[in-house]
Amino acid sequence: MRRFALPGHGFVAWFSMLPWLVPTLGCEPTASKKPTALVVFAASSMTEAMREVEEQFEKAHPTLDVQLQFGGSQALRLQIEQGAPADLFVSASEAHTRALERSRMVFAKKVIAGNELVLIVPRENPAGIERFEDLTRAERIVLGAKEVPIGAYTEELFDRSREVFGDAFADAVAGKVVSREHNVRLVRAKVELGEADAAIVYRTDVIASEGGSIIMIPIPRNLRTRAEYSAAIVGRPGEVANPGEEAFLSFLRSPAGQAILVRHGFGAR
Amino acid sequence: MRLPVIFGGVLGATLVLLLVFPILALALAVTPGELLAATSHPLFWPALWLSLKTTLISLAVILILGTPLAWWLASSKHWVARVVGLLIELPIMIPPAVIGVALLMTFGRQGLLGGALEALGVQVIFTTGAVVLAQVVVSAPFYVRAAASAFSGVDEELLIVARSLGASQLQAIRRIALPMALPGLLTGASLAWARALGEFGATLLFAGNMSGKTQTMPLAIFSALEVDVKLAVVFSLVLTVAGGLLLAGLRLAKTRSSSHEPRGFL
Repeated sequence: MRRFALPGHGFVAWFSMLPWLVPTLGCEPTASKKPTALVVFAASSMTEAMREVEEQFEKAHPTLDVQLQFGGSQALRLQIEQGAPADLFVSASEAHTRALERSRMVFAKKVIAGNELVLIVPRENPAGIERFEDLTRAERIVLGAKEVPIGAYTEELFDRSREVFGDAFADAVAGKVVSREHNVRLVRAKVELGEADAAIVYRTDVIASEGGSIIMIPIPRNLRTRAEYSAAIVGRPGEVANPGEEAFLSFLRSPAGQAILVRHGFGAR
Repeated sequence: MRLPVIFGGVLGATLVLLLVFPILALALAVTPGELLAATSHPLFWPALWLSLKTTLISLAVILILGTPLAWWLASSKHWVARVVGLLIELPIMIPPAVIGVALLMTFGRQGLLGGALEALGVQVIFTTGAVVLAQVVVSAPFYVRAAASAFSGVDEELLIVARSLGASQLQAIRRIALPMALPGLLTGASLAWARALGEFGATLLFAGNMSGKTQTMPLAIFSALEVDVKLAVVFSLVLTVAGGLLLAGLRLAKTRSSSHEPRGFL
């Protein structure tokens, strides 16, 4: 068979095509014509709450168009580091905001809400778990991966439970862990599907769960682990500030914004 | 004649660059020190070993179950064979995450077969078996498809001649059809194996993520991404190189097996 592409000619032609190839590849999302876009990257556990915040905020600021993007805090941070056009970053873990701070990509930062860990079991509750101490009865426990915020908080929780209930309890529980999921919604899904007998998630994930397929069991006070959410104004060093950034940050901390967050199960800041 | 050649070359080169550049970028992003550091990470070896182990088991399962099926698909003219041929290709176009959910709905506790499996005391989900199952479902179609087209390329008259000379049907298949179809079978096997190695979505949902048990390399890369991008980059590079070497091995085997034929594309 005859070969294609004599390299010399092929490459010259290829390079002459570059100028028009590049702009077509970097296609921008079609921004709305009138209102200024305000791009907010938010942790997936904030999905429902932030949708409501968007609605209220846009009512108060008709010239601004909030564009939400949800994902794991770590994935969002990576995208921002790689130049994603985010104006604000709402993270479930300080570690990721701090990493952006180190790269001088954070212009302002405020704690906006708290969250706490709870134990969940499927409605059928096959392992008969009534309290946190019953966790050893579970056959399959699903937790968050240590690398993601929910998993890191869960580690803290189990370290504390080792002190309170002893090594035997902690080791028995660790032996029942069958999976370390990559985000909190995947953890919850395994319980909703009845595949896991117990899991640790944020309180807000239970409130956001529809269909009543899970039961929430509070964690004893002395073990309680609190998660904090911060919102940060982000961008490249020297970037021109978006007029809506400050307004959005203050809205989140205003009584109206806090009311939305509390309604979705977040503790006030 | 000249212009079409240049034009074709430009188009082809564009695709080659698009496919090779990202891998080159991976390789260039890593220093030897980082490579060493990442390979001593606790997630690394269990994940690499699990990936190799599960994909080889999956490949064996696919070859054993898929070869007779491909033969039937290639030789039968019945409409059932056509329908089956279409059905088994569905997993190619269904997003892997959907396959993961579908597997949950089949083998999970609340799944179609969940009750029966539970009664037998068999647990599939969250086990290494689930990893293999997910890999088989997503990658088998690639093998069966290639194998069926390889078998349909075998000259039927040769088989008839062999039978007339006293060979049993099995002998005719083993001695004539299989050797003739071998290059195609190897192509299918390497496609399926490569797909299994890269499998992520279905495994994530169906098998979970547990180091040493269900955390294959693609899942470990996703976990590493959450700690340190560099770590994930090195993991990815190692997986790419390991995959590349094994694919090159299969290609070599294929070239050997078809050395009597004119060399075609790769």
